[in-house]
Amino acid sequence: MEKKSIWKRIADSREASLVIVLILLCAAVSIRNPAFMTLSNLEEILKNNAVTMILALGMLCVLLIGGIDISIASTLAFTGMSVGLLFKYGYMGSTLLGFLLALVIGAVCGFIIGLVIGKGKVTPIIATMGFMYIYRGLAYVIGNSQWAGADALGDFKNFALGKYLGFGVINNVIMVTVICYIIFFFVMKWTKFGRNIYAVGSNEEAAAISGINVSRVKIAVYTIMGLLSGLCGALATTVYASAQPDMQTGKEMDVIAACVIGGVSMSGGKGSVGGALLGSLILAVIAKALPLVGINSLAQNTVKGVLIVVVIILNVITKRVMDKSALERREM
Amino acid sequence: MKKKLLSALLCVAMSATLFAGCGNGGTPANNDANEPSSSAGADAGDSADDAGAGTDDSASGGKTYAMVTKSAGNPYNEKEAEGFKEVIEANGGTAIIQHPEAATADAQVSVIQSLISQGVDSISVAANDANALQAALEEAMAAGIKVSAVDSATNAASRMTFANQAGTKEIGQTLMDAVYDISGGSGQWAIVSATSQATNQNAWIDAMKEIMESDSKYADLELVSIEYGDDVPEKSTTVTQALLTNYPDLKVICAPTTVGIAAAAKVLQDQGSSCKLTGLGLPSEMAAYIGDGDSFSCPYMFLWNPIDVGRLSAYISLALVNGDINGATGDTFEAGDMGSYTVVDAADGGTEVILGPPFKFDPSNINEWKDIY
Amino acid sequence: MAGKSGRTISATPENVWKKQIFSWEGILVVIFLAVIVLCKLLSPNYTFVNVLREMPKYLTEIFLLFPMAYILMLGEIDISVGSIVCLSATAGCLISNAGVPFGAAAVLTLLVGAACGAVNGLILVKFPELPSMIITLGTQIVFRGIAEIVLGSGGSVSPTNMDGYRMIAGKIGPFPYIFFLVIISAVIFAVVSAKMKYGRSLYAIGSNRRTAFYSGIRVNKVIFIAYTLMGLFAGIAGLFLTSATYAANTTTGKGFEMDAIAMAVFGGIATTGGKGRMVGGVISAFIIICLRIGLGQINMNSQLILVIIGILLICAVLLPNITGSLRLKKRD
Repeated sequence: MEKKSIWKRIADSREASLVIVLILLCAAVSIRNPAFMTLSNLEEILKNNAVTMILALGMLCVLLIGGIDISIASTLAFTGMSVGLLFKYGYMGSTLLGFLLALVIGAVCGFIIGLVIGKGKVTPIIATMGFMYIYRGLAYVIGNSQWAGADALGDFKNFALGKYLGFGVINNVIMVTVICYIIFFFVMKWTKFGRNIYAVGSNEEAAAISGINVSRVKIAVYTIMGLLSGLCGALATTVYASAQPDMQTGKEMDVIAACVIGGVSMSGGKGSVGGALLGSLILAVIAKALPLVGINSLAQNTVKGVLIVVVIILNVITKRVMDKSALERREM
Repeated sequence: MKKKLLSALLCVAMSATLFAGCGNGGTPANNDANEPSSSAGADAGDSADDAGAGTDDSASGGKTYAMVTKSAGNPYNEKEAEGFKEVIEANGGTAIIQHPEAATADAQVSVIQSLISQGVDSISVAANDANALQAALEEAMAAGIKVSAVDSATNAASRMTFANQAGTKEIGQTLMDAVYDISGGSGQWAIVSATSQATNQNAWIDAMKEIMESDSKYADLELVSIEYGDDVPEKSTTVTQALLTNYPDLKVICAPTTVGIAAAAKVLQDQGSSCKLTGLGLPSEMAAYIGDGDSFSCPYMFLWNPIDVGRLSAYISLALVNGDINGATGDTFEAGDMGSYTVVDAADGGTEVILGPPFKFDPSNINEWKDIY
Repeated sequence: MAGKSGRTISATPENVWKKQIFSWEGILVVIFLAVIVLCKLLSPNYTFVNVLREMPKYLTEIFLLFPMAYILMLGEIDISVGSIVCLSATAGCLISNAGVPFGAAAVLTLLVGAACGAVNGLILVKFPELPSMIITLGTQIVFRGIAEIVLGSGGSVSPTNMDGYRMIAGKIGPFPYIFFLVIISAVIFAVVSAKMKYGRSLYAIGSNRRTAFYSGIRVNKVIFIAYTLMGLFAGIAGLFLTSATYAANTTTGKGFEMDAIAMAVFGGIATTGGKGRMVGGVISAFIIICLRIGLGQINMNSQLILVIIGILLICAVLLPNITGSLRLKKRD
């Protein structure tokens, strides 16, 4: 057996086809509108979609253990509203404290979901559907028909404008995204916890027999998902300088779509941090490009939906072709 | 064996509901008489029933007036409801404020159906879709409930009259003049609207277009695009950014929607763009963006007082229920300290009551209004 | 959960969970009675006539429950139904406005629905490796997007000749026509799933797709039919929803898919496939509807109602799991 050449390894990887799709997409948009490839535009893309990109990391873990979480947008709204209102009514002034609190609230929300799924053995989609109603409802209840607007948020909204985390070059929000991705990349690849997640997703019974505490892994994964939702609640509040109870409604579907486009399997065990990144980038480019290439605003949703379906189906077809060629090589 | 037990249970359940239902629904006369003893402390229900029983009361006391807003969790709707409630309660009535669970006509239909069951005396509704409430509102009117629209009109067939915050033409003219003024009379401008089916948005945009075409004064202004931000901050942000990228020479953006204008204001202000903004927005949401000079994105904007819209709607409901007006053109009524109002013809073939001209918010007065609404 | 089948091999004898499922439907009937009594106590207006009068709009959602239950039994999901309702209702109004007599327009409404469902079915059959959730997420965006395009900038259409729509909204005594149609459909769907070959193949595929395939069940055909039925009934729902509103717009039917899934799940139909009975779904649908009407009549905050439904949903699955595990412990 000779070692595979680098080129072959790239050609065989699932991510390669996604990179090609992404490049083609960007190229096509740039031809229609050269303004697309400017630095400021790219910064906007990353900033506007930081929420999707970060949530995709949590969703990756959830999908890896064969679960699903459709309550994330509600958790996000609940934490966003909590933090926003605390600023509005003057109970809090520090940006750092705001983020910490958002993380804590989100983690608690996620932990409760994890308990119901891990210990209560409730199917993930049902449990998270219930919590989708509950947390969203709570966001409305605590909001009491008030928004936290730009004026009420004070210093907190300036976080999304600053660059101090990114050494004065990169926007804070983008920097947070990058840090999240680096952490997850290491955790998923080189830690025991990361491998446990893959093990549980590939075969739950086998994982249990080999000594992994399955329900503890599940609780941990949903807590992480909650934590990231909380982080995104705070991020969304600072990026849009506004917290509203209906914020980011339906975002969970975007996030799941991003993961699946990135090659994460919904039945568990398969998927990578790189895939989640590419999937959410493809969605981000589509969302940003539609108004730029001059598609009628009424037709944008249709085009977006068709593109999602096409990308996913193309993914399957390339995979089939790859499997077939791999099989042929083996036969020779 | 199991199945038998199950079907037996089912039969019991069904017949129990039937009995429970017939016992009350079958004999409405008894129902009213029995009510005071059997009602288990539901406030709204009680008062609704009292109202049903006492239809011969000429005073507004003891009657129930309902308002259905566009959606929950929106401070603008809340202020409207606040004004409505204040006037109704000052006149001795009971106000029911219902926010539908989602900003859709479907959700409003359920709420209206429930209000019919409660036997309220009037419903005033801010429609999410002009046509889609017709079936429910016709049923309400057939049940003797006085129906009026507020803020965003239903079609003419499903209302008696409409509390309009400002004349459609008037808003179009005001916004057009603002665009003319801010742009200096020439150049490109664009609109960021809410959703494509928002009745009032479309009416205002059409009015603006009409005014622009009919007067040569606006000949040098070019409306380059109408974008829909769906009243969602993310999408409003994206479309505003796209406008700036696609039209580098854009001078003015006009956003006649509270969510859209706040999102657009943030984009323009963050970028330090030379493009300026005007439109309709809530002072509390916009205070950070209104100011003189280049560091602020919005020189001035407009809105009516949502509390007054709610109050006007309350006075209309009171007048309709008392029989002072019945929504025909030319009817006049007293609206407490707001003065006297007259019902006029609306463009859609129905009638309306117009609150007054929109109010201008600029750097000189924004700080005193931002805490009010 | 565990792998694609979601089933764990355990020593629990077959009849134990069968007993649980049975008792669940018994519990549902008790809950139903409790809800009626509770609402009766809360609201003096909760009369038979009033409840039936408010019911038609809610009943449209039960049409979605029947085929959704089939799809869940298959272990699949369809989240595009709300959009199919929207598209078929829109098409119905536009066709009837083009001068087509009501009968023909109604049939075409159903056909549009069925065609949408068939598209879902076809994609899923052709690409079995794709999760149904993702494909129907894509078509959810596309179907509503098409409605947005045809509705144009107004975003709403109302039938100019409403006679037909008024007719199907009619009543026999206090009972609206739609009530009888729902009951008849419920009986047919229940009998087919419990007694007929098609019904048994649903359970077989839901329990183990591969085994079902090798035992001679035409898996693709069964799946295709289930999705087409889903579309057809979404068309029926669209037709009756138009008759309850006299209009179709871009938000018509939004969120119906979640309501239908919640009803099914509350009725004991597992989203992992192969479990549950139609009877449970129908009873739970009436529980949810009667509860919503009752809480609506006491003017409860609409978001709180959603919170309550969310809690009910989780408890519905959590409680049997907890009591079930307790019972097992006792036996040990």
